[in-house]
Amino acid sequence: MGEIVFKNIGKSFGDVKVIENLNLTIRDGEFTVLVGASGCGKTTLLRMIAGIGSATSGELFIDGEEISDVPPGKRGIAMVFQNYAIYPTMTVRGNIEYGLKNARVPKAERDRLIREVAETVGLTPYLTRKPSELSGGQRQRVALARAMVKKPKIFLLDEPLSNLDAKLRVAMRTELIELHHRLKTTFVYVTHDQTEAMSMADTIILMESGEIRQQGSPEEIYENPDNVFTARFIGAPPMNVYRMRGRQEFVGYRPESILLSREETRMLYQREARILTREMLGSEIHYKLVLKQDGEEPITIMGKSSQKQFEVDETVYVNVDREHLYFFDGQENRIRDEAGLKECCAMIQGGL
Amino acid sequence: MKENTKRKLFPYLLILPSALFLLVFTMYPCIYLVRLSFYEYNLLKPPKWIGWKNYVDLFTRNVDFVVALKNTAIYTAAIVTILILFGLILAVCLQRESRINSFVQRAMFIPHIVGMLSVAMIFQWMFNEKGLFNAVLAIFRLPGLKWLNSSDTALICIIIVAVWKSIGYYALILLSSLKAIPAEINEAALLDDAGPVNRFFHIFMPMLSPQIFFLLVTITINSFKVFESVRQMTKGGPGNSTNVLVYYIYNYAFNYNKYGYAAAAGVVLLLIMIVMTILYFKAMGKRVHYQ
Repeated sequence: MGEIVFKNIGKSFGDVKVIENLNLTIRDGEFTVLVGASGCGKTTLLRMIAGIGSATSGELFIDGEEISDVPPGKRGIAMVFQNYAIYPTMTVRGNIEYGLKNARVPKAERDRLIREVAETVGLTPYLTRKPSELSGGQRQRVALARAMVKKPKIFLLDEPLSNLDAKLRVAMRTELIELHHRLKTTFVYVTHDQTEAMSMADTIILMESGEIRQQGSPEEIYENPDNVFTARFIGAPPMNVYRMRGRQEFVGYRPESILLSREETRMLYQREARILTREMLGSEIHYKLVLKQDGEEPITIMGKSSQKQFEVDETVYVNVDREHLYFFDGQENRIRDEAGLKECCAMIQGGL
Repeated sequence: MKENTKRKLFPYLLILPSALFLLVFTMYPCIYLVRLSFYEYNLLKPPKWIGWKNYVDLFTRNVDFVVALKNTAIYTAAIVTILILFGLILAVCLQRESRINSFVQRAMFIPHIVGMLSVAMIFQWMFNEKGLFNAVLAIFRLPGLKWLNSSDTALICIIIVAVWKSIGYYALILLSSLKAIPAEINEAALLDDAGPVNRFFHIFMPMLSPQIFFLLVTITINSFKVFESVRQMTKGGPGNSTNVLVYYIYNYAFNYNKYGYAAAAGVVLLLIMIVMTILYFKAMGKRVHYQ
């Protein structure tokens, strides 16, 4: 078990309110990713769960039990820190063993658990080494092993991959997913990297300035963004969103939904644009385009396409299907009602 | 000259000035000291070679050398224990960021920048039988103490002055290393359900061990060289109760004009410090965690 419920949670640092009146349920056994730009409060939430930075107001429940007064070591959680926070004076074994010793696990049992976990994360040959003799990836594994060996009901991970090089990061990503599949416990993972969030999460919680912008599966968040913030945060490159000319409403479409053409088409959205840059990434090409609009600030958009025939400085048509268009109202919230959508489509057809 | 030889000589040329300096002002006096310790010399007559006689005299004829040695040992042991123990406690207490703590940190550094002689003069007045400490005792209707005038308490007074003067400095060194430990280490230990005592002895102490070891060595060496406070406050008295090694050497050299004999005592001091340092490294080296 490991369900976490935040109820009317608030947090201030001095006079600065970071989080106000936040309600959130993190479901048991899921891989939940808290994602957002730095300073959005995601790490603050994680530290609340850990008990190392308690909430200023509100209640926090784990499995229905209010845990505000439970000390960090008694909450049944384990945490992997961004800088790993390995005890530098202890050996790898000492690091893994420390929590078990404090929990008064008998020696024989400790040895068995350490052997087991070292085998799982591939640290067996390094048990007698000091952290200073390990590589970044190995230190990461020590931090992971130290968390795993306690068999917690909740894993907290605070940007654990951000100090690794790109290749190792991708490898560790799949390892963490596998680990979650095997352990089936609650994982709460904090990152600012939307790719990480998309690739690992069962549920993504997208945060901005202490508020939750959207919560849902990666598919939901990607295909069905609630607001402009979500639309612009998720996707690489993210969704093109801009205000329609002279209107409050926004139109948006993903770079990958674009069809480029030299001739006019019959699609709902059709704009002339000039190609600014062309990035060849192998299987696909990223085009940066500027829309041709008279007397207005130029709008640049990104296009992602397998069409390779277009050149820089060429003028092309950017075409998007009706079903790939998203509309947002003046408050940046998604327009979902039929009447509203119809009106927006009419505006698009009118060339706004 | 060949290009290769030139390149090999160049580094030596660069360290030559400091090497010369070291040779003239450090090595030569040391060697001269050792040489002098085998002579009888009083500045008036030319030095006379007398072999090991000075050393024999040190340990057999004049009991006061052994007393000075003993006093120095007691003083050093007390200072090292008190400074490191209370320095650590102070550092832990001052860890939290607060206005009062930052004030205390500044305040306790001040004694370190005041000259020992001035400190000794002020304390001499406070320790006076009509001085501050007895006045305070009188407020509580307690009998006054003789402080520096009793052979039972004089050495303790010298120790008090030294502790007062340097505890802040050493506590600051420990505090800065304590603060350099990332907060996450402490938080990780909290999550590992480690209590405060456990955390201190298993996490923080090992991480502070290089600094503690450094303090151990420097405090020991400094304590063996205690002089000004004794010279100012007690002149080694009452009796020989506060006579320490360096004061003893000073006394024999400049009051009795027995330079050779004083040099022999100096050599003994030098040897003791070398042996102590080697012993420290042997005994502690393995327990110190360098990162």
